[in-house]
Amino acid sequence: MTGLRRSISNVLAVAYKETALLRHDKTLAQNVFMQPVIMLLVFGYALSFRPVNVPWAVLDRSESSASRALVAEIRASGYFEPPLRVEGYGEARRLLREGKVTAVLVVPSELRRRMERGRPEVQLLLDGTDPMTAARISGYVTQIASRVGLRADPGLRGRGETSPAPRAGPEPGIDLRQSFRFNPTLRDLDFYLSAMAGFLLTNLCLSAAALSLVAEKENGTYEQLLAQPTRPLEVVVGKLLPNVAVSYLSLGLATIGSGLFYGFWPRGNMLLLLLATLPFVLATLSIGAFVSTLARTSAQAIFIAVFFIMPSFVLSGSMLPYELMPHGVREFGGLFPLRWFQVAARRIIVRGSSLGEVAVPILVLVAIFLVLLAAIRRMMKPRLG
Amino acid sequence: MSFRRLWILMRREALATLRDPFTISILVAVPLMALLLFSSIMSTDVKGLPLGVLDLSDGPTSRRILRELAVSGSFVPTRWSSRAAIESALRSGDLGAAIVVPPDLERGRAARGEAAPVPQIEMLYDGGEAVLAANAEAYLKSLVLAAVARATDAETSVVVVHPGPPGPATIGASGPATSADGTLSASGTGRGPTPAAGAVAPPRSRGGAAGGIRVVPRALFNPTLDGRPFMVAGTFGFVLSFAATLIIAVSVVNERFAGTFEQLQVTPATSIEILLGKVLPIGAVFSVDVVLMMLVAGMLYGVWPSGSAIFFVVLSVFYMVISLSLGMLISATSATAAEAVSKTVLLSTPLIQLSGFAFPVRNMSTPFRWVAELIPATHYIRMSRAIYLRGEGPIALLPELAVIAAMGLALGALALRAIGRRA
Repeated sequence: MTGLRRSISNVLAVAYKETALLRHDKTLAQNVFMQPVIMLLVFGYALSFRPVNVPWAVLDRSESSASRALVAEIRASGYFEPPLRVEGYGEARRLLREGKVTAVLVVPSELRRRMERGRPEVQLLLDGTDPMTAARISGYVTQIASRVGLRADPGLRGRGETSPAPRAGPEPGIDLRQSFRFNPTLRDLDFYLSAMAGFLLTNLCLSAAALSLVAEKENGTYEQLLAQPTRPLEVVVGKLLPNVAVSYLSLGLATIGSGLFYGFWPRGNMLLLLLATLPFVLATLSIGAFVSTLARTSAQAIFIAVFFIMPSFVLSGSMLPYELMPHGVREFGGLFPLRWFQVAARRIIVRGSSLGEVAVPILVLVAIFLVLLAAIRRMMKPRLG
Repeated sequence: MSFRRLWILMRREALATLRDPFTISILVAVPLMALLLFSSIMSTDVKGLPLGVLDLSDGPTSRRILRELAVSGSFVPTRWSSRAAIESALRSGDLGAAIVVPPDLERGRAARGEAAPVPQIEMLYDGGEAVLAANAEAYLKSLVLAAVARATDAETSVVVVHPGPPGPATIGASGPATSADGTLSASGTGRGPTPAAGAVAPPRSRGGAAGGIRVVPRALFNPTLDGRPFMVAGTFGFVLSFAATLIIAVSVVNERFAGTFEQLQVTPATSIEILLGKVLPIGAVFSVDVVLMMLVAGMLYGVWPSGSAIFFVVLSVFYMVISLSLGMLISATSATAAEAVSKTVLLSTPLIQLSGFAFPVRNMSTPFRWVAELIPATHYIRMSRAIYLRGEGPIALLPELAVIAAMGLALGALALRAIGRRA
């Protein structure tokens, strides 16, 4: 019992010293206040896979009322810019190749005749460079065209007037109704704002902790630290503790910011979010500390930390759903704490999940933290030479 | 400028780099790791998404729908007993999507009058995963439509003799397009893969068959809408911007820390010689990296540039000099390594998010589109995709080249000024 009490007092002593150092750190304000502001703006206004202002062209060989109706409907959808007119396939391909347009709608000359027979067809040439955008534009145009045809086709006019509203998929025998839970309009904003805390804390914790021990090595005080009556692990935990407080401050700013700017408040229990954040912050900080024990110079520590940050953003599923990644890459992403935190945070923030539903990610984060602590302890065993 | 002095500086830099195993391994490992990890993350497919099924009808049609969903590979359907259970599984994230088949599915079809309400299949998605839900939507909808159409078709061909005109069958790729009551139906158009269906994600183009005008999508430059070429071309931008900037920034900060940078500044070497002496050796290593990455991407994924490979290498080398100048600028204006870290980390976030590496610049709101245009990486990534995917040549890319050249000159001048300033 006295051992534990002494440990706690040692940790607090180191934490006190670190807090004093942190207070004089110029980069702290930058990390804590600038980053949330930049991220709030970028995540709110810049990140989206929903195509807008799509430049496109029309190659209309039918010049019929149906083709004009289709073009008008596509324009009315709001995703597209006013279309360019092209005269031939050569010109269409050239525009696509030069990246001037993303899609070209080709209306065949026999559209009217085909409509009378009931099988109208148009072609959509897409720039496949960006597959996500191409697939979505194709989806939009397909849906719009399915409605237009129904109204413009003279054979269907009678029925079209009696049917109450144009449905997305007008089927004779069946009706489909789709709904998106937790995010009815499928805004990308909700998806990215709910990932923001994870990005922010990863940046903050890694850059703070990666330099923690290396700086001591470079100043020649590392040996002194090890020679003290405090145990190495107590030093590490003590050094990390003030950063936990800073992380919570940052999380609070980000949450309040996205609530005030975008009206996006967490749907779930705020206390649960705070609870889930603790093992994540600790795990990320210990990765930083582990890097710090590995590196000989702060330059090396920076490198390892930064090249840890980048893949963890990309592979965690914060930017793109990890469910779509191939096996191997998907499992590799599971080694990053951010993966588990983004799962837990999105569940709490977007879906309002309860403790039971986020228990698994939280336990994994705790496990990652404990494994790292053991690794740090091993690395810090005082050695000669 | 003396070439002898420059040569000595370059030799010094090369020796310093070569004797540090850490830097060498970073120089080789980071580009290859980035290529392997990033190349496969962008996908428009849906594979093995857990799909909850609440089948209240349990008739031949619904069983057919489920069977077809199961064999599609896009979804893994599981049966659930109540709507509440499905809702809670959606909340906990166990299900990505769900489908509710109404009890009147069969009855409605068998004895449907004009006035009878049409049976409604309900589809629920987990909107919390917005990107995934948007992909899944198109897949699920078209799979269900096609399955219903086939089920309807199979049955009507037994019960009803098609009274419709036989004409459309000869035009359409697949079967009759008009059903008994004269409306357009999914029965003919939805059946089987149409000739162009392979062009874009197959279920999507079949989904287009549902309504009035059918859209036949065809993606140029990347017919299968594979995410790999897009990401490979972007990864060059990531490596050359990020790794190059950081390596040189840290190398200079280290020299300042050791005091050797000040020693360089007091030698007869001019600022431009110091700049080139640093940039050229590291630039040479990254040029090798570019070629290495091209070979690995080509041999591993079959992704080769469809334009001129030589033009691409030349462009990359030119862009690398810009990145390295930016790195010199960062390091020359940071007093400590810690300051250089927070600067690069602050810079890295917008770099990866605003440069179009993953998120299309066009989708951003206007002020951010301007900001994105100010980032050199945006232009480089745009050009590398144009060369890699669309096979674009230097003449069409002239405007982009001019922009990036202007940025290079500006950054180079700033870096020179920063080096000249003695601490």
